[in-house]
Amino acid sequence: YKDVAGCTMYDDECKTTKRKFGFIPETLLSEKVTQMMEWASKRSVIRMNGDKFRRFVKAPPRNYSMVIMFTALQPQRQCGVCRQADEEFQVLANSWRYSSAFTNKVFFASVDFDEGSDVFQMLNMNSAPTFLHFPSKGKPRRSDTYELQVRGFAAEQLARWVADRTDVQIRVIRPPNYAGPLLLGFLLAVIGGLAYLRRHNLEFLFNKNVWAFSALCFVLIMTSGQMWNHIRGPPYAHKNPSTGQVSYIHGSSQAQFVAETHIVLLFNAAVTMGMVLLCEAATSDMDIGKRKIMCVAGIGLVMLFFSWLLSIFRAKYHGYPYSFLMS
Amino acid sequence: MAEHHAASDGKHKASANAGGSVHGNSRPGAAGGGGGGGGGKGGLSGGLTQPAGWQSLLSFSILFLACLAGFSSRLFAVIRFESIIHEFDPWFNYRSTHHLTTNGFFEFLNWFDERAWYPLGRIVGGTVYPGLMVTAGLIHYVLNLLHITVHIRDVCVFLAPVFSGLTAISTFLLTRELWNQGAGLLAACFIAIVPGYISRSVAGSFDNEGIAIFALQFTYYLWVKSVKTGSVFWTIGCCLSYFYMVSAWGGYVFIINLIPLHVFVLLLMQRYSRRVYIAYSTFYIVGLILSMQIPFVGFQPIRTSEHMAAAGVFALLQAYAFLQYLKDRLTRQEFQTLFFLGVSLAAGVVFLTVIYLTYTGIYAKIHIPIIASVSEHQPTTWVSFFFDLHILVCTFPAGLWFCIKNINDERVFVALYAISAVYFAGVMVRLMLTLTPVVCMLSAVAFSSVFEHYMGDDTKREKPPAEDSSDEDDKRNSGNLYDKAGKVRKHVSEQEKAEEGLGPNVKSIVTMLMLMLLMMFAVHCTWVTSNAYSSPSVVLASYNHDGTRNILDDFREAYYWLRQNTDEHARVMSWWDYGYQIAGMANRTTLVDNNTWNNSHIALVGKAMSSNESAAYQIMRSLDVDYVLIIFGGVIGYSGDDINKFLWMVRIAEGEHPKDIRESDYFTPQGEFRVDKAGSPTLLNCLMYKMSYYRFGEMQLDFRTPPGFDRTRNAEIGNKDIKFKHLEEAFTSEHWLVRIYKVKNLDNREPLDHKLRSVVPKQKYTSKKVAGHILFCCFNQK
Repeated sequence: YKDVAGCTMYDDECKTTKRKFGFIPETLLSEKVTQMMEWASKRSVIRMNGDKFRRFVKAPPRNYSMVIMFTALQPQRQCGVCRQADEEFQVLANSWRYSSAFTNKVFFASVDFDEGSDVFQMLNMNSAPTFLHFPSKGKPRRSDTYELQVRGFAAEQLARWVADRTDVQIRVIRPPNYAGPLLLGFLLAVIGGLAYLRRHNLEFLFNKNVWAFSALCFVLIMTSGQMWNHIRGPPYAHKNPSTGQVSYIHGSSQAQFVAETHIVLLFNAAVTMGMVLLCEAATSDMDIGKRKIMCVAGIGLVMLFFSWLLSIFRAKYHGYPYSFLMS
Repeated sequence: MAEHHAASDGKHKASANAGGSVHGNSRPGAAGGGGGGGGGKGGLSGGLTQPAGWQSLLSFSILFLACLAGFSSRLFAVIRFESIIHEFDPWFNYRSTHHLTTNGFFEFLNWFDERAWYPLGRIVGGTVYPGLMVTAGLIHYVLNLLHITVHIRDVCVFLAPVFSGLTAISTFLLTRELWNQGAGLLAACFIAIVPGYISRSVAGSFDNEGIAIFALQFTYYLWVKSVKTGSVFWTIGCCLSYFYMVSAWGGYVFIINLIPLHVFVLLLMQRYSRRVYIAYSTFYIVGLILSMQIPFVGFQPIRTSEHMAAAGVFALLQAYAFLQYLKDRLTRQEFQTLFFLGVSLAAGVVFLTVIYLTYTGIYAKIHIPIIASVSEHQPTTWVSFFFDLHILVCTFPAGLWFCIKNINDERVFVALYAISAVYFAGVMVRLMLTLTPVVCMLSAVAFSSVFEHYMGDDTKREKPPAEDSSDEDDKRNSGNLYDKAGKVRKHVSEQEKAEEGLGPNVKSIVTMLMLMLLMMFAVHCTWVTSNAYSSPSVVLASYNHDGTRNILDDFREAYYWLRQNTDEHARVMSWWDYGYQIAGMANRTTLVDNNTWNNSHIALVGKAMSSNESAAYQIMRSLDVDYVLIIFGGVIGYSGDDINKFLWMVRIAEGEHPKDIRESDYFTPQGEFRVDKAGSPTLLNCLMYKMSYYRFGEMQLDFRTPPGFDRTRNAEIGNKDIKFKHLEEAFTSEHWLVRIYKVKNLDNREPLDHKLRSVVPKQKYTSKKVAGHILFCCFNQK
């Protein structure tokens, strides 16, 4: 049997068990490990409710570490962060489950609020998601709570934390994302197919309008900060939770919403179109009335959308003194 | 002083506006000039005997005013403060230039700088782009030869503004080649004052980019010229300009990729001609050989992946030319078999190369810089685009549209330039610099086309302007692809009709509004330059409520203290940001500096800063540190100080020493970074904290706040009782911005007390007991 080594002075349950049995029964431990291994072979993240948690995590004879995510995944809870964190946690657990170094030293489990709310009460926890590590020996300490606010929930960060706490190195292997290459392949196939269908009439490849239009699209996409969106992933717009007001423009000049960049793209395009219209009005051979309308529309577009853009810029860049038509 | 400042401000605005509006008024004349010598009876020059002479005088004076506006709007910092080198990197450039002028060119190439990266040192001659230093040194030499005795510092300070004038001229030349003279003048005015370029070229910002943009534009001008003429003369000029660019800035890679791309796209568009063949073959060979003469570049052009595109296009062009040659010699049937053979051979070679490159890992390297830049450098928000380019960012797509609609060889080039530069600027905010010139050119094209149609008088011109076609020697291409001359003719006749139709009212309204936009652009540029880009950051200024100004000169005060009061070979430890300044101003040895090539060394300094005093002392002893210099902004509320940068030190140290330094130790349990009582004890006892707040707890800045109140972080500090064992305060500047500590030598061994000797065994016994007790406690606590 196992002696005192299994627990420290402060571990109350350990002491009570010892008081009860006088020793920690080896059979109970091996039984639990077998059970855990069986579950782990079925799914990499073991789902736990209150009873299971008490029996396999809280109750004393335990020689394995547990990494547990406390979460609220039920749709009525509306926890978007939980869902993202869950995906990352699954990636981590799968990387561990299918790695060659897989042992029964560490198990990954999750407790959903709607299945084990008593566990949440027991641990005096009121936010989800939370990651806790239950070491194989002793009670969880401060550093056994993962600092979600500081480190984020990327699987790599979680793996570093797990390595730190349990000395188990997990190489995170993400399932490859086929969406991008597939989409690209599809696009190329469509273009190739179109070219093949029209192989006797490839005139459209020499069409300047098509090329000019696509070049303009690219330029407008870049100048409106879509690359920033792509890299930083900002929200589409911000909804103020107390008033319910939706703001499309970010208040600071250092950041932007996706909606805002779409607006800017449209405004830039409108000014560009105004300039082109002005030139077309002067050079095209349509009748004079139409050309006058084109000319007025062109200058109107340039003036209106530029001053509008300027006013948005002014709202974002505090202390900017100039405005035009609109403040 | 304030009045003087306001006056100068007004002057700048006026000159900038003058540039814009004079230029606007000149539109019809300039457009006529661009049209060429055929017409010559423009309305503006009616009554003048030699209109061509007037036009060139007008263009010259506009160009001169643009250069002047560009030069003077970069002088805000000089007028407000003094002629001083700005920021960090320029200090290194200045120091190297100084070394060059005092010791000569060859000594500079062989310079081993033992004052940097102690104890490693740095081979400066082989690890810098020498173009900047040589340029400044040469100007200084010539001026001194003429007995105009100027200090090298003034040459360095005013180099960037002078070169921005040259950039305006080369932009004018390039745009004139692409569109017409009017657009060229407009582009010159834009580039002279646009903030995206001023941000890197104000007086005192003595950095590579200041001269590199001139070299970039001039190389492109000569390239376009050589593609247009197909003459070796222009191509050699292009190579020399490229050589200058390579010697000046690492951004030459942009040129060596854009020009091959241009040639490649021309081949795809079936615009191959002998001119292109001559231009590119000469450029590639001569340019390659010249670029390899720079020690820092060396054999990179034939080794690294970013130069491989140029080599590939060179091979392709030779093959294509060879096939063209065979086409003339062989029959159709023979040629077709040969063609298919050649294509399959080429495809096989390309395939094998790709496989080889993939296996050797070179292919992956291509992507690494982009990935690295994405994660390390900030991508660009639309606000930055608008801030740096204002109206130009909205209008330059229109210019691009006109260029693509009236395409020819050189407009293909500018379109590719715009598309690639806008991509890089979107990825990385620093590369806005390479986007700015092309935006200026294309916006100028857009504005110029509008003005051309709306500013002309209603009197009819007799003859359409006949622009000289770029491909006189290539009849075939000009026949079916270059229909420019015909187009222009048509276009002008339509314009005449339009002039009859649109009427003077509409036209003058459009013109007025357009001029108003340009005026707003000039005002915006002046405001941005004055407020955002004209701070030297070595000298700070604060303004009181009544508008009077305080100059905070703490940095220089501290650096001169170091220079005057410490041993010549003293080693100063600081965070890497201040390495160049310490070397440049204090002339003392530094451990790390802004040339961040050795991460482990930086991490060691970071570790010393973030450990407790005794651990830090060991590190500092091992690095022979004599003084430690830190920046502390808590007294004046300066936010760029070392406590605010501190987490970076911790992170970098953690990257190299994960066992000793942990970022999470410096946060509160709630994950906050706080310097007050609630802050983490590790933070409150680390060396950086102690050095920053030593004696600060006694200091009451204000009657409303308690003593030891940090104005930058708005908190009362948590550890007011700071005592040092191994360090002592050596110097604190007037506003406490810079604090310097001396690292003490090891203490003498304490003399043994005779009385204690007799009780040694007894003491040993008690200590053991005490130790045992402590152990037990620890165990309990666990």
